[in-house]
Amino acid sequence: MTKPQSTALPIAYVVLRILIVLNWFFGACILALLTYTLINEPWMVKALGMSGFTPERWVMMAMRGIAALGLVAILFNNELLKRLLAIVDTVRRGDPFVADNAYRLNAIAWLLLALQLLSLVIAGIGKAIASHGNPFHVDAGFSVAGWLAVILTFVLARVFAEGTLMREDLEGTI
Amino acid sequence: MAILVNLDELLHDRRMTLTELAERVDITLANLSILKTGKARAIRFSTLEAICEALECQPGDLLEFGDA
Repeated sequence: MTKPQSTALPIAYVVLRILIVLNWFFGACILALLTYTLINEPWMVKALGMSGFTPERWVMMAMRGIAALGLVAILFNNELLKRLLAIVDTVRRGDPFVADNAYRLNAIAWLLLALQLLSLVIAGIGKAIASHGNPFHVDAGFSVAGWLAVILTFVLARVFAEGTLMREDLEGTI
Repeated sequence: MAILVNLDELLHDRRMTLTELAERVDITLANLSILKTGKARAIRFSTLEAICEALECQPGDLLEFGDA
C-alpha cells in the first residue's frame, strides 16, 4: 500500500522558506529604524505620533531598547524557523524519527520560551513608557496560546525522543 | 556479562551455512549476520522459533549468558 501524498508538507516547506525571508526583511526594517532614530531623533518622535511632546531621554532609550529586543526576537525566530524547516525536510525524505529531530524540537521549545519571556519584557518596557503620559502601545505581553505552545513543544520533544529510542530498538530487533 | 549468541557453533555442528539458514527461516542474510555477531538489540519469539526449528535446537542452545 502506498502512502497518500500530503499537500501539507510542500505547502509548509514553501511557507517556512517565505517566513524565513520575511523574518530577515522585518529584521532589516527594525535595524534601519533603530539606526535612523540615532541619526534623526525628532523624526522618530513625530513618527510615533508624539508631536508637541518632548520625551525624556530614558523614554527614547527605552524605545530603542524595544527595537533592539525586536532584533533579538528576529534572531530567535530565524533559529526556530530553520529548525522547523529541517524537521519538515526529514518528513519529506521519509525519515522523521531521528534523534536530531528530538533535539531540534527541544531547541524550538526553548526558543519559544525565550520569545515569550522577551515579549513580557517588551510589554513591561512599553507599559513603563506609556505611564508617562504618551500614547505608546506595543503589541506584546502575556499570551495563553504562546505559553501553551511552549509547554506543548516541550512535551512533544520528549515524546519524540522516546519514539526515536523505541524506533532504534525496533531497528535492532531481529 | 552479556547475552551471547552461539549461532556460529550451531551452524558448524549442523554443517549449515548462514545463507542456507537465511533461506530456511526466511530472514535476510544481513539480519542473521547481525544476530550472529551479537550486534542485535533484541530477538523476536518468531525468529527464535524459526531458527530453533531449522537447527533442531532449544533456545538455550542458541543463547547464553556469560562473559563477552
